Amino acid sequence: MIRLERFSFTYPGEDQPALSDLSFEVPAGQFYGLVGPNGAGKSTLCYALAGMIPHYFKGTLSGSLTVAEIDIAQSSLGELAGTIGLVFQNPFNQISGSRFSVRGEVALGLENLGVPRDQITDQVDETLEQSGLADLGERSPFALSGGQQQRLAIASILVMQPAVLILDEPTSQLDPVGTSEVYALLHQLVGQHETTVLIAEHKLERLAEFTDNVLVLNQGRLLANGPPKTVLTDPLIEEIGVQPTRYTQAARQARARGLILKKDEFPLTLQDAQEFFDDAAV
Amino acid sequence: MSTPTLYLPRDSRLHHLHPLTKLALIGLAIVAGATLPVTLWVIAVYLLILMPLAAWGKVLPAFLRSSLLLIWPFALSLTLIQGFFAPGEHILLQLGPLSLKLEGIQLAADYTARILVWLSAVILLMLITRPDQLMLALTERGLPRQIGYIILTALQIIPRFQQRAETILDSQRARGLETEGNLVKRLRALVPLVAPLILSSILELDERAIALEARGFTRAGPRTSLTTLKDTAPQSAFRWLSLIVMLLLILARAAGWMTA
Ligand SMILES: Nc1ncnc2c1ncn2[C@@H]1O[C@H](COP(=O)(O)OP(=O)(O)OP(=O)(O)O)[C@@H](O)[C@H]1O
Ligand SMILES: [Mg+2]
Repeated sequence: MIRLERFSFTYPGEDQPALSDLSFEVPAGQFYGLVGPNGAGKSTLCYALAGMIPHYFKGTLSGSLTVAEIDIAQSSLGELAGTIGLVFQNPFNQISGSRFSVRGEVALGLENLGVPRDQITDQVDETLEQSGLADLGERSPFALSGGQQQRLAIASILVMQPAVLILDEPTSQLDPVGTSEVYALLHQLVGQHETTVLIAEHKLERLAEFTDNVLVLNQGRLLANGPPKTVLTDPLIEEIGVQPTRYTQAARQARARGLILKKDEFPLTLQDAQEFFDDAAV
Repeated sequence: MSTPTLYLPRDSRLHHLHPLTKLALIGLAIVAGATLPVTLWVIAVYLLILMPLAAWGKVLPAFLRSSLLLIWPFALSLTLIQGFFAPGEHILLQLGPLSLKLEGIQLAADYTARILVWLSAVILLMLITRPDQLMLALTERGLPRQIGYIILTALQIIPRFQQRAETILDSQRARGLETEGNLVKRLRALVPLVAPLILSSILELDERAIALEARGFTRAGPRTSLTTLKDTAPQSAFRWLSLIVMLLLILARAAGWMTA
């Protein structure tokens, strides 16, 4: 569904490429995570996948990037809207500001696509239901909590039924409850609609719980591409400045102090950690 | 946090009128306020047209409160300026070298009545019309979408920026910034306030633009709308009639057919 071949991108006026020589594929219906330290190029990659690079941010490109069989560089943002959805950090900035109700806000994208009114009504109702916003339809988009606003931002994209959904740290401004709400929605989405999802995220435990595969980016390069359990417990990610989960850290500490000897695979989640220490205790 | 607009949702016949019909009504009041030659007639527009309309729309208390709250600074300053400085014969009160004159008071009353009609007509429109529906009506008639978008967004976003400025101000104050004291001090204090505000606003403009792009904002081709505006033949006829009356009023005034 997403395919990059030796894809590189340099922002105008910079000597270092922000993305360099990336090659990977995301099969349809998969849930992918994207991790990396600050400045690794996660946002840049998200923008490229959604066509904002090169259609909004100019710069130098090489290699190829296709999403849903569309050659991004040869397309236009208008054509991509509705096929590739993009959600980012700050929910406040994703609210259009031109609609006075949650319903109206969700409908905006479909109105721009010229979808007939009856169909808009149906799709909006369905999406509000799915995102748990059905009771808030008449509320002002600004009168919502952070988690609700972010679900509104996602709903406003989902309603257009994109084949691919790209999210750039959508939970970084949310508390744990808001974060769980967002992940629950994404999980349901991948399960029911076979949407292909790629999410840039700092909260590794969430990736461990929900994703099929994780990409690790550092200084614009792809360092690893594999299942969360292997990739996210690899000491490599700590070396580049990504903090492992506290379970991984605890286990590594225990091993460094000689409390545990036999294990060399580290736990990622609470459940892993329980098994890990249970085994080790024997 | 509710929407920072004046709009009051009410179940009234007035609310259900097409936004352009409401606009025509309000336009009529504004043109009448500008062209009617007699102060009393202008006051009659407020008392006999705008107030009953507000009552019909079930927004009379809010209408009176807003219009009277906004008019008194005008009334006061006009009375002082015109009363003392407009030429006239009939002296009502002598204060040293200054004299309060009847002609000036009459002039002030006339201006105040007209401003009252203009202000309260606009207030009434805002009380009974959802801004997005008004913009929809206008864009359907050819107002560029981008302009409609900017107006609507400004209505909702500007108050958020005020909030943000408050937050930044608070945090700067917590770090020992002068926000009290003389003018120079306070102006200097503005610099660290304005810089983060502008910077974050610029960064956010990009995000906002991208978010809109992702939802097809600049896409070419036909669009649809979730909300429909109900229009009727009598309303359309009323709007044409209003337009003619407005033109006649302006013409009559310009040609000097109407005099006190
Ligand atoms: N508009 C731009 N113009 C020039 N350089 C940019 C621009 N945006 C980002 N960069 C640079 O590109 C590199 C990658 O930035 P990017 O924002 O993609 O990183 P990131 O992984 O999203 O970081 P973070 O975790 O902080 O969000 C950085 O070195 C950054 O300074
Ligand atoms: Mg980023």
